[in-house]
Amino acid sequence: MGFIREIVRNRYLYVLALPGLLFLIVFAYVPMAGHLIAFKQYRLADGIWGSKWIGFDNFKFFFMGSDWYKVTFNTIFLNGLFIVCGLGIALLLAIFLSEIQNALYKKIAQSLIFMPYFISWLVVSMMVFAFLNMTDGILNRTLAANGLDPKNWYLMPSIWPAVLTIVYVWKFAGYYSIIFLAAIAGISGEYYESARIDGATRFQQIIHITLPLIRNVVIVLALLGVGRIFYGDFGMIYGIVGDTAPLYPTTDVIDTYSYRALRQLGDFGKSSAVIMYQSVMGLVTIIIFNALAKRIDNDASLF
Amino acid sequence: MENAIQQVRSKKAAKIKNDRTFSERLFVIFIYAFSGLFALICFLPFWLVFINSFAAESAIKKYGYQLIPHDFTLYSYEFVMKGKQVASSYGVSMMVTIVGTVLALLITAMYAYVLAHPRVKYRNILSFLTYFTMIFGAGLVGFYILIANWLHLKDTMWALILPYLLNPFFAFIMVSFYRTLPYEINEAATVDGANELRTFFQIILPISKPVLATVALFYALQYWNDFFLALMFIDDYKLHPLQMMIRQLISNINISAYVGGSQTTYTQPLPTYGAQLATVCLTIGPIFLLYPFVQRFFVKGITIGALKG
Repeated sequence: MGFIREIVRNRYLYVLALPGLLFLIVFAYVPMAGHLIAFKQYRLADGIWGSKWIGFDNFKFFFMGSDWYKVTFNTIFLNGLFIVCGLGIALLLAIFLSEIQNALYKKIAQSLIFMPYFISWLVVSMMVFAFLNMTDGILNRTLAANGLDPKNWYLMPSIWPAVLTIVYVWKFAGYYSIIFLAAIAGISGEYYESARIDGATRFQQIIHITLPLIRNVVIVLALLGVGRIFYGDFGMIYGIVGDTAPLYPTTDVIDTYSYRALRQLGDFGKSSAVIMYQSVMGLVTIIIFNALAKRIDNDASLF
Repeated sequence: MENAIQQVRSKKAAKIKNDRTFSERLFVIFIYAFSGLFALICFLPFWLVFINSFAAESAIKKYGYQLIPHDFTLYSYEFVMKGKQVASSYGVSMMVTIVGTVLALLITAMYAYVLAHPRVKYRNILSFLTYFTMIFGAGLVGFYILIANWLHLKDTMWALILPYLLNPFFAFIMVSFYRTLPYEINEAATVDGANELRTFFQIILPISKPVLATVALFYALQYWNDFFLALMFIDDYKLHPLQMMIRQLISNINISAYVGGSQTTYTQPLPTYGAQLATVCLTIGPIFLLYPFVQRFFVKGITIGALKG
């Protein structure tokens, strides 16, 4: 009866934990029953438990078509671009910012670079539209002013991986550079001082001191990003691309695909099968890459 | 002796600094230029949105978005503010953000405290239950059925508040903060006859203000910027938060019916762009009015979250 004794002894503490625990049970664990729908022919009237079992039919539908390959590729490809470009540019910025001696310049630059982090994807979407729309977009106006033909960018799927990557870098460079700057600030000044005395240039100091000493932070962030590579950013993709069907070939990710299957087609079974596939793949990659990250940095598994 | 070496060293360092080679100087200029340019690119869209919200619709149609518009007008704001939608959307966003943040902060602070408390035998089980939800989600379908069919929260404000009440990541940020507090505080409180509830609310919470402020801002930003929940569960225009209003203005054909207000007397063309720009400014306004304050706490929070300092 150790369980009851423990609960009674620390009753006040368990009372404090109760709302949070209830929340997790109701909003995180109970809806996991939804995964069952992947194996059922779901009918609203019958509910999750009453609907007929159909084995793997929903999965067959999904995997027999070409959609599964397309959305999986888009999810991994876009996330890969985001990780490489996002972390790369942020690292560059953090190193440069840390080299800037003028405190005011540094502070202003940092504040401006961090600004996009705070706005919603729909505001970003509005800004992207202002740049790229056919008739009044800034890009087309600029092209026209220089005697070039305006283009309808919202009908050209091939450029959108690049557009989305630029948007991602724009939004998150500030965020990641803060993490890198904190890591750089943790490097002892003595390294730089002795390097200077030995006549090292700034560039050499960056290559031989800064980079090796924050290498682990970069690797850990990259590994954690790769761990979540099966999860597209729904808010970002759906916020910016929305229901612009011509762009689906390069921008449709697993999350937007399953959302449309659910909300626009009302196909609960297919949507569940897609999500089940994503959750299982996601769980495997997260466990593998979190374990790798943990080998480098003991605290990293928290993410 | 120490001092002398120090002096020689700093003299030498100063000399090297003065003797910067040409390429060294070039590198420094490049660093300033690159960060400055990047900062400008980050800022430019904000400027364009802000300044063109004061431009006339006809000017945007004719010249496109301008760095500095030819003449200024408040017509877009008048148009948006005259309607009912902006007031109700602002009300919904405010309400959801305030109620959500207060509840979420309280629940998270209490829950994280227990996870961090060394006397709680099952804290590791609780931690694992929390962590597992980060790596294996319920998925969209189960979540949708829960909110819509089981809890019947469609088209209610609770659908916008309840799902975000406990964010495991924020909870773990708080756990790592509580762990830095000396356990002697609890012992002293127990000796003085306080039970764990009193200890938490009267001693622990007041000394946790910095991390509470940080987590509160994280939650507030999440509630304020979210459109996913409204997209999923809110069809009623009256309950559209600001983010949904922006979405409607971008995609809606009949904006005058959506924005509401007087439908008859328009002396100027409908400000389609103007309404979007003005609404965006009204939406991001509160964040940037408080920006220096907000930025400081976010930097702190991100640094704690990343390095567990």
